[in-house]
Amino acid sequence: MARKWLDYKTDSWVQWCPGCGDFGILNAIYRALAELDIDPSNLVVVGGIGCSSRSVYYIKGNAIHTIHGRAIPVASGVKLANPELTVIVTGGDGDLLGIGGGHFVALGRRNIDIPILVYDNAVYGLTKGQAGPTLPAWIQTKSLPHPNVQGSLNPLLLAFAAGYTFIARGYAYHLNQLKDLIKAAIQHKGAALVDILQPCPTYNDFMTNEWYEKRIYYLSEDPSWDPVVRSPQEHKEKAPKMLEKMMEFDERIPLGIFYQNTYKETLEERFEKIMNGYLSSPPGKRPLGKRPIAHPFQVFKEKVIQV
Amino acid sequence: MTDVCMIIGGPQGGGIESAGQVALKTVVVKGFNVIGTREYHSNIMGAHSYFHLRFTEKPARALRIPVDLVIALDAESAFTHMWDISTKSYFVYDADSQDQEVSKIPSMESSLKRRVKEALAPKGGATVGSAVKFVEEKGAVPVGLPLKSILKKVSDETASPLSAIAKTVNIIGLAAGLYLAGVEYDYIAKGIELQFGNRPKVLKPNLVAARIAMEYVESSFGKQKALPNGPHRGRSRMLASGNDVVAMGKVLGGLTFQTFYPITPSSDEAFYVEENMYKEDVNGSKISILVLQAEDELAAINLALGAAAAGARASTSTSGPGFSLMNEAISMGVMAEIPVVISLWMRAGPSTGIATRQGQQDLLHAIFSGHGDTPKIVVASGDHREAFFDAIKAMNWAEEFQTPVVHLLDKYLASTVAVLDEWELDVSNVELSRGKREDSPGSEYMRYEITEDGISPMAPLGKVPMLISSLEHDEHGHVTEDPVDREEMVAKRARKWETIARSIPEEEKLVLHGDPEARVTIISFGSTKQIILSAMEELERRGILTNFVQFRVLSPFPAETAKKLLSRSEVLIGVEMNFQDQLSFLLRAHTGIYVPHRVRKVNARPLYDTEVVYAVEKIVREGAKEVVVSGGA
Repeated sequence: MARKWLDYKTDSWVQWCPGCGDFGILNAIYRALAELDIDPSNLVVVGGIGCSSRSVYYIKGNAIHTIHGRAIPVASGVKLANPELTVIVTGGDGDLLGIGGGHFVALGRRNIDIPILVYDNAVYGLTKGQAGPTLPAWIQTKSLPHPNVQGSLNPLLLAFAAGYTFIARGYAYHLNQLKDLIKAAIQHKGAALVDILQPCPTYNDFMTNEWYEKRIYYLSEDPSWDPVVRSPQEHKEKAPKMLEKMMEFDERIPLGIFYQNTYKETLEERFEKIMNGYLSSPPGKRPLGKRPIAHPFQVFKEKVIQV
Repeated sequence: MTDVCMIIGGPQGGGIESAGQVALKTVVVKGFNVIGTREYHSNIMGAHSYFHLRFTEKPARALRIPVDLVIALDAESAFTHMWDISTKSYFVYDADSQDQEVSKIPSMESSLKRRVKEALAPKGGATVGSAVKFVEEKGAVPVGLPLKSILKKVSDETASPLSAIAKTVNIIGLAAGLYLAGVEYDYIAKGIELQFGNRPKVLKPNLVAARIAMEYVESSFGKQKALPNGPHRGRSRMLASGNDVVAMGKVLGGLTFQTFYPITPSSDEAFYVEENMYKEDVNGSKISILVLQAEDELAAINLALGAAAAGARASTSTSGPGFSLMNEAISMGVMAEIPVVISLWMRAGPSTGIATRQGQQDLLHAIFSGHGDTPKIVVASGDHREAFFDAIKAMNWAEEFQTPVVHLLDKYLASTVAVLDEWELDVSNVELSRGKREDSPGSEYMRYEITEDGISPMAPLGKVPMLISSLEHDEHGHVTEDPVDREEMVAKRARKWETIARSIPEEEKLVLHGDPEARVTIISFGSTKQIILSAMEELERRGILTNFVQFRVLSPFPAETAKKLLSRSEVLIGVEMNFQDQLSFLLRAHTGIYVPHRVRKVNARPLYDTEVVYAVEKIVREGAKEVVVSGGA
């Protein structure tokens, strides 16, 4: 019997502010998981620290609530130790692109099969609204004593440069479209980014629902838009247009899948190439013998001086 | 009685490491025990480095200075090591470098240049020629090798251009030196073959170079008396560094997941695991270890924690600076109860310090790492054999107690090569364990179930839904701020710590070496072990009977046993390579015992047995409170 979205809801009280965009994202995740009928025992949701990282408690499955900024390496360890698991990272722009920025980059380089769901509200909500790494310069939200003097980064371009093979942007209040993006990200084999624009009604009084609604549109409105690249040649031909769309973030903000690379191998596949049998008997599932399998003289022969 | 200590020095990238390896192999083939270590700058090419080696019939426990033989392949080496000779030693140097002045050597540290100038001023200027006079006056025999003409001969005989055989200069120096020490060509040739055997183009010129060098020494300085073979002639033995043996322990101890970020002096351990990460058939079993270079140490440990949560036997390795970055994750490991082993290879700090040099300054850091009441196991290995078995033990403990375990090692162990006999690494009685690992959890499974011993059954991810949390949590792992839940969980972690303290046998936590009745007691931890043991033999010959309490497990600290063992001691001496007396601090904190005397070495060079002898004599005979020893270049 296929699972329903409610099957992924836990009993926990969801402790976000009323109207928070996180609710929309959480609901989209439930629906994506249900449509993919993912076994909760096989699902691992890894979060960092922040409002959005608490999602891990609200999704039925395995959950790891880690420390600030380190959700990606913990998730990578889980996935590499047992590639059969569906591993998803949830976190905010501060957690994943600020304090955890180095890991965000490394995941792309590795192309491990993990979707990264960035709840992107441009502020640090849980600590009362400081500027996040995606808050544009000179914007003064209501909790900032001065306009933001630091610039913002572009998560999509960063992901592209780092080697992510799936890059999308969604909007927290567009449940169905977001559900489809999350579904596609989970189904994609490789490192996937879904940058989810998410109004923070408590602290970000600038990038509000109205502000976004005026700007956002879907790439798919253009019937010729095809984000899939199946070969290095196709990548080369399509990249300029894709980059142009990724850079668009002003009066118009595009949503949808910007880029999906279907030919680049994952780290898991690369390990299988250098360690035959890795995928079928990965580190997390290898049984431990009762005793060491051999004497060191037998295994490390090059260190033994044969006289 | 053969007991030869030697130094071969030259520029980094000039084959000092391979000369050292050849020397080690040569003397092992000759039947001796050996210990050798590499001292080098944080530099790729050009700075001075040297290999320090001792071979003997007795167990080769420690290095010493002065040495019996210095081989200085360049002027900088001659200046650097002119102090290191003893009265009857040989000082082999490049005769062509006679006129080189210390001021013209760009790679030399300015302080050393100044010291050399001061020492050689009375000899008519700071040239290699004066350094030769300096060592001659101290009773050493200078042996000038005309390197240019020897190289020319090698070039002629091998019909290769000079540029192609210039690299054999390390073997020329080594062969000349070993010949002076009484090692015959056949053994050196065997050592060279063992080192370069798989590369015929390198092998041939090196063999020729060795022969010509020895012929030169023989014709110019007379035929040398050959050393009788050592007691182990004919036995196959292992030569391995501390980095190597820890990697071996991990591989054979069932490791399946290793991460690292490159940092001296830990990287070679990870590299050696990586070299052995995949073997199709070992006794019908397969070795398959995922080794991943992380983007930083934050990732290195968090990757390992994630993998461990998913059921892997996981470890990472690092040095002080990397360990600093790992602190927060160690705290998570304690809170979320995830097993992980961190091999911590200490080096000279603070901060970046001297990246390639020795120090024992991270003991307290290891114990107190992580915020918020985070006890963890810290085990310090005294030598190669201990390091091998500790690497296995650390993985067992990590899984049995679901906690981070810090395996404390240092640069001296990392780059010291020791000889090991087959019986010393016998693993037939070693057990591998995972404690309360639960592979088929029921639907009621709770990751943090409250238990009497504080340890909950641990299922890997992927069996039944579970919550793993770095936040305070209830039995299910669900986040909670409730005061009752909180207190229960703190109590659970406290009980677990008591279980750990109780479960690790006292004899594995500390070891008494020597006569329990001795009135002089040395305390120390880590790689000073064999050095102290060697010094104790000499001290006994000099009429000072000592014993030595070696602290193996420093957390949980064996307070009661330490009190018992130290109660009879009249002169208590701490030997440490840090200035805060970190072990003494711990001892006093846990037992109230004050360590009134100390031997300290903080110049970032290895500790020598000769120094321990000197310092303990000074304390016992003259009542010195503190003796700082400063040997090594």
